[in-house]
Amino acid sequence: MRSVLTFGLATTLVSITAPWAGAAEPQIPVFVEETASTGIAHVYDGPFEHFVGGGVAVFDCDGDRRPDIYAAGGSNPAGLYRNVSDHGGALRFVAVDAPAAALTGVTGAYPIDIDADGHRDLVVLRVGENVVFRGLGACRFERANEAWSIDGGDAWTTGFTATWEGDNPLPTLVFANYIDHHHPEAPAGGCADNVMLRPRAEGIGYDAPSALSPGWCALSALFSDWNRSGEPDLRISNDRQYYRDGEEQLWRAQPGETPSLYGREDGWQQLRIFGMGIASRDITGDGYPEVFMTSMADNKLRTLDSVDDTPRPTYRDIAFARGVTAQRPHTGDDVRVSTAWHADFGDVNNDGLPDLFIAKGNVDAMKEAAERDPNNLLLGRTDGTFVERAVEAGVASGKRGRGGSLVDLNADGRLDLVVVNRRAPLQVWRNTGAGSDADGGWLALALEQEGANGDGIGAWLEVRVGDTIHHREVTCGGGHASGTASWIHVGLGEAEGASVRITWPGGETGAWVDLPAGAFATLNRDGGVDTWSPG
Amino acid sequence: MKLWKATLAGVGAMALAMSGTAMAQALTVGVSWNNFQEERWKTDEAAIVGALDAAGAEYVSTDAQSSAEKQLSDIENLIAQGVDALIVLAQDSEAIQPAVQRALDEGIPVIGYDRLIEMPGVFYITFDNREVGRMQARAVFEAVPEGNYVFIKGNSADPNADFVHAGQLDVLQEAIDAGNIMNVGESYTDNWNPSVAQTNMEQFLTANDNNVDAVVSSNDGMAGGVVAALTAQGLAGSVPVSGQDGDFAALNRVALGTQTVSVWKDARALGKAAGEAAIELAGGKALNQVMGAVMFSNGPKGVDMNSILLAPVPVTADNLNLVVDAGWISKEELCQGVGAGGPAACN
Repeated sequence: MRSVLTFGLATTLVSITAPWAGAAEPQIPVFVEETASTGIAHVYDGPFEHFVGGGVAVFDCDGDRRPDIYAAGGSNPAGLYRNVSDHGGALRFVAVDAPAAALTGVTGAYPIDIDADGHRDLVVLRVGENVVFRGLGACRFERANEAWSIDGGDAWTTGFTATWEGDNPLPTLVFANYIDHHHPEAPAGGCADNVMLRPRAEGIGYDAPSALSPGWCALSALFSDWNRSGEPDLRISNDRQYYRDGEEQLWRAQPGETPSLYGREDGWQQLRIFGMGIASRDITGDGYPEVFMTSMADNKLRTLDSVDDTPRPTYRDIAFARGVTAQRPHTGDDVRVSTAWHADFGDVNNDGLPDLFIAKGNVDAMKEAAERDPNNLLLGRTDGTFVERAVEAGVASGKRGRGGSLVDLNADGRLDLVVVNRRAPLQVWRNTGAGSDADGGWLALALEQEGANGDGIGAWLEVRVGDTIHHREVTCGGGHASGTASWIHVGLGEAEGASVRITWPGGETGAWVDLPAGAFATLNRDGGVDTWSPG
Repeated sequence: MKLWKATLAGVGAMALAMSGTAMAQALTVGVSWNNFQEERWKTDEAAIVGALDAAGAEYVSTDAQSSAEKQLSDIENLIAQGVDALIVLAQDSEAIQPAVQRALDEGIPVIGYDRLIEMPGVFYITFDNREVGRMQARAVFEAVPEGNYVFIKGNSADPNADFVHAGQLDVLQEAIDAGNIMNVGESYTDNWNPSVAQTNMEQFLTANDNNVDAVVSSNDGMAGGVVAALTAQGLAGSVPVSGQDGDFAALNRVALGTQTVSVWKDARALGKAAGEAAIELAGGKALNQVMGAVMFSNGPKGVDMNSILLAPVPVTADNLNLVVDAGWISKEELCQGVGAGGPAACN
């Protein structure tokens, strides 16, 4: 039944009233680009195979608790840069000679302490053999493919994620592969399989890789406990430019079992995007992670359709309602679609609300997409919507952005920004805050447990501020070819402190710990809390 | 008429109260554009509005600004306004389906405009892509009925690439089977990218010692890459090359003699057909009763779709005046660099 009566809006566009009009405006942090003075001069470049990739691993490799940077170079050598920034000071780095830094063909990298020796190791993704470097401390690394019997393959690898299954001493590793570069002319079905490496039953090392087939030209992968079952599943985001029958994937990954795809019977709906990167964070406050996936044109922010009983993997789009579709440039007059790559949630203005950074840039010279495609900085509002402030904050670079990281580089409690660009220098911005009166409080947290999985990958962190509890999953993977393993940054707004507790991998929940704003605190599974003073 | 509409727009509440009176007879057609700021849709819109004006119908529209998710919301809004028919240029022909289903459930006919929305109950209006391929092949075949052919196809993940190529084979398969035409090179072209097409063409020329007699290229952009490769070998102008879209650069090549044909889709014809079909459907006609409706089942899912498949126009040196007379391109742009002895349209 519908009315036959119509309103005569002759030849006019129907105006859409923004549902968030009137929400309180978030403070805008000032990011100062310090690329020229950081000591980092690094360009990601290369032919077709390096149109994608351009990742960065951000992690402490010399034990001074300040994150260092390993950046992919494509046809250029990769780069390793030690962080020598003073506490709260300008961002400064020193290039380090290392075998890992001399590699070419690198698309991205992820830090992870595979062998539980307290030094994070480095998983380097390449066009060709992937290489795993064992961290030795002092930002020294040695190749470990042979020692750990890791078959690096010969694929065009663009994504990585890891999880500790059951009581395994070593993590399960997943390498996400893009087009089958040995048969690039294949008209359809030219996508390579993804591969999973599981630890051997005995000794230190891995079994031969097993294929996760079909692969649909993956560009990002993330183990995440999307339904809070205690067992993370494997999400893979795929580029529809290169498949016909493919879609986004969620693999059911149970310890000791062959992974299987969630299907329609499970409630999994078809979604086909130009999937480039994954970010995951509970935005709605229900304790379940929303997932943000970058693409061309619309980016997707998806929430579980229902979290009653046992959630099914059926998702609803909320990107438009929340103001984060970011489908075309937010500044300039180019009305062609955007191309989005790395995405990171983080509280850049320490107001207690998650914000979202998206690295943007044309594939190379794709005419259908915007040529100058500035990054996004979407600031969270109290009503759950986001507002674009990249220009005002100073991060709306129009270079061909790829990988990146929102991370505190100088231990001042503010998230700084690293972005790798294709055919242009890697950029570093220092977050100088929104002005002293406007700056909110923060916490910097680290997890620690004895034995395997020292960083507590797979844990859930709860932060209680007043009556509100924020839930945060500790993961390894996602983004666009980029991984960060550093202090977990929590913005507190005006609160003078917060209570935090950890649900550790395996399900054990620790006690609430009260921490004052401004603390760097390491939470041990045994209940211990170590604090650290930078400087 | 214009004044009456403007008045009504300002007094929606009153108009509601007058439901059932004479005003109820004015039909309204809603158009959901995916990205109206793209220049080419202005032409389509003018043709749609022209057809609606001629029938005394109203036009309302929304602009999704390239967001598939916003377009879902746009269509909900158009439904809420009570439109009698919808014309949808989809940003994402799959993501749009829930909103289209809503409209169909409410009895609102939906026309998929230019881009296939492959659902039963949707009317599809487009140019016949297979016919595009036939026209390309015919023009090249007339120039060179036998010899070594190269096929530069579109993006492998785009179904249109296969429709066009299937049309090319409709015309050429017999000569291929008879051995009169040799397929000496065939490739998909990543993203229909001209520079990829050029690289592929260079490789085919090298592999065949330049013994290539004709190139069937599936669009004008790629034809540009092909002609660049031929020019480097001194072969441009002696090897026929096809294309489609009526790109200005391609029409100029047709005038210069380095491209044989550009198959042109006249947006005015498409818009007019959509406007007229929307009026018929809004008036209660069944999908298969629409003037010119045929069945189309060649989508990726094979759904039977009532459709209007407009015939495009093959533009060659002999009928270049068509695109000038239509106001599509100026004579200056068309004939740039064309010397004496060029086609009639440049004289």
